[in-house]
Amino acid sequence: MSSLIPLDNIGVEYKSHGQAPRKVLENLDLEIAAGEFISVCGQTGCGKSTMLRLILGAERPGTGRVLIEGRELPRPDRHRGYVPQKYSLFPNQTVLDNITFGPEMEEFGLWGRLLPRFRSRRKELRHDAMGYLRQMGLQDADAHKYPDQLSGGMKQRVAIAQALIMKPRILLMDEAFSALDPGTRAEMQRQVRHIWADTGTTILFVTHNISEALYLGSRVVVLGRDSPEGSSRVIFELNVPDSARNTSGYPLRDEMERLTRLIEGATDGGQREPETVELREV
Amino acid sequence: MLFRIDARPGRVATWTLSWILFAAGIVLYFHASGIRHADNPDDKVVPSLSQLGHGISDAFLKADADEQDSPDAANVSLARRFFNSMLWTDTVASAKRFGWSMLLLIPAVILGLHMGMFPLIGSFFLRFILFFDKIIALSVLPILFIAFGIDELSKIMLIVIGVTPTIILDTFNLTTGVPPEQIVKGFTLGANDFGVTYWIVLKQILPRVLNSIRLNLKAIMLFLFAGEMIASPDGLAFRIALLRRHMGMNVIIPCVLWVALLLYLVDLTMRVMNRRLHPWFREA
Repeated sequence: MSSLIPLDNIGVEYKSHGQAPRKVLENLDLEIAAGEFISVCGQTGCGKSTMLRLILGAERPGTGRVLIEGRELPRPDRHRGYVPQKYSLFPNQTVLDNITFGPEMEEFGLWGRLLPRFRSRRKELRHDAMGYLRQMGLQDADAHKYPDQLSGGMKQRVAIAQALIMKPRILLMDEAFSALDPGTRAEMQRQVRHIWADTGTTILFVTHNISEALYLGSRVVVLGRDSPEGSSRVIFELNVPDSARNTSGYPLRDEMERLTRLIEGATDGGQREPETVELREV
Repeated sequence: MLFRIDARPGRVATWTLSWILFAAGIVLYFHASGIRHADNPDDKVVPSLSQLGHGISDAFLKADADEQDSPDAANVSLARRFFNSMLWTDTVASAKRFGWSMLLLIPAVILGLHMGMFPLIGSFFLRFILFFDKIIALSVLPILFIAFGIDELSKIMLIVIGVTPTIILDTFNLTTGVPPEQIVKGFTLGANDFGVTYWIVLKQILPRVLNSIRLNLKAIMLFLFAGEMIASPDGLAFRIALLRRHMGMNVIIPCVLWVALLLYLVDLTMRVMNRRLHPWFREA
C-alpha cells in the first residue's frame, strides 16, 4: 500500500509566557497508508491529539513535515473529515442543517444561497442528508432537532454523518466516543467499523482506551514518553490482522488480553525502541 | 422558605412577588405626597394624583398651539392629540437619534467579529480600542461640539464614542470564545475564511451580541440624554431639562416613567426577537 500520510521526524513544542518551552512530540515518524484504520493510544498528555491536529492541518510542526498525498497542506480542508470529542456540531443549526452545511457551503459558498436555484438544490441535498441520517441509525423525527436536544451518542452519530457526506479521503476522530456510555460506545464502534469497511476511508482514531483501539484499528500506534519530563514519540506499533478477530470483528479474547498486556507494558515502561508486533494467524 | 435555594415558587406566587416592589413604591410615593400636601396643598415637589393627572394630560394630550387655536380644536380625536403632543414630538426626535445610534452599532459588531477572527486585524485594532474604551465619553463632549457642531452628529458621535468600544470588545471576546473545534470543523466542511466567520461564528455569537446590546441600552440612552440636555432644540431629555426650570415635577415624573417604559419595550422586543430568531439559544 502506498503511503498516504508520512509524518517525518515531527517535533512540536509549546511556548508559554515566562516558562521554558514544553516539548510535546519529538522525532515522531509514522507512515499511514491509504485505507488504513489507525488507532492512536497513549497516556493523557502524550500528544495524541496534537498528532491528529498536525494531520488535520490545524497545527504546524516545529520540525519535520507532514505530507498528505505528497503535499504539505497548511490548513484543514474538505478532504479531511473531523469528529472531535466536544463541540462536534454547530449548536445554532438543526441536525439536518448540520449535515447539509458542508455540501451547501461547497456548492454555493458565502452568497450563493441567494441564487434562485439554491432552493431546489437544497431539497436534493436534504434528501441525501436524510439518507446519511438513517444510515447512522437516527430517526426522521430527529432531523429538525437542535444539538442540545440530542444525547451524546446521537450528537456523535450526526457529527459522523456530517463528516461522511463530504466523502473525505481521511477521517480524523479525536476521542470521539470517550464521553459516551458503554452501550452507545459499543454501538458506535460497530458503526464506524462498518463505515470503514464499506467506504475504505482512511481513518485515524485517537483514544486512550486500549480495548477500543484494538477493536477498531487495523493498526494500533502507541505514543509515549522516554521519561516523565520528556517528549513523546511512537513507542509501539501493532498490526491487527482480520484473522485475529472473530466474526463480529472483535479480536479473540486470548489475543485481546495478550495485546492489551503488550500495550500496557509499552505505555508503562516507555523506555523501549519502537517495535512492530505482527499477530500470529489464529 | 425564603432562603431555601431549592424553593420552587408557583406561577401565581412568582407573579405576585414580582409586583410587590412596584406596589410598595406607589404606596410610598402617595404616602409621601399626602404628608407634603397636608403641610402645603400647592406642593409641587411630590405631586398628588390629580396634579400628576393634569401633568400627564398636558404632556400626552395637549395639542400644539395651532391646533388649539383652530375652530375644530374641540373635535380633535384623542389619538390625533396624542400624536401632536409635545411628549410624542420629543419621543420621535429622541427615537431618531436612538435609531441612528443602534444602526452604528452594526459596524462595531462587524469590527469586533473581524478582530476576533483575523489575528492581524485584531493586532491592529485591539490596543487602540482598549485605550479608546477608557476615554470618558462625556469628557470629549466639548471636543465633539467644536468638531461636529451642536447638531445631530455630535450627539450621535457621543453615543458612538460611549458605547461602540464596549460592543466591539464584547463581540471580540465572544468571537474568540467560540471553540476552535468549530472553526476547524468549518474548514473541513468546505467553508473558507469568510464562510467560517459569517456562517459559523457570527451566527453562533449573534444572540449573545444582541444580549450585550440589550444590556447597553441604558448606556446608549444615558449618552443620548446627556447630549440632548446640553444642546438640543427637542427630545425627551431636552423636555425634562426645560421642565426642571419650572419645577414641573408633575410632567417630569410621567416623562421619566415614559422613557423607562419605552426602554423596557425596546428591551422586551429585542428579547422576543432574539428568542424567535435563535430558537436554539436558551439564555435569551
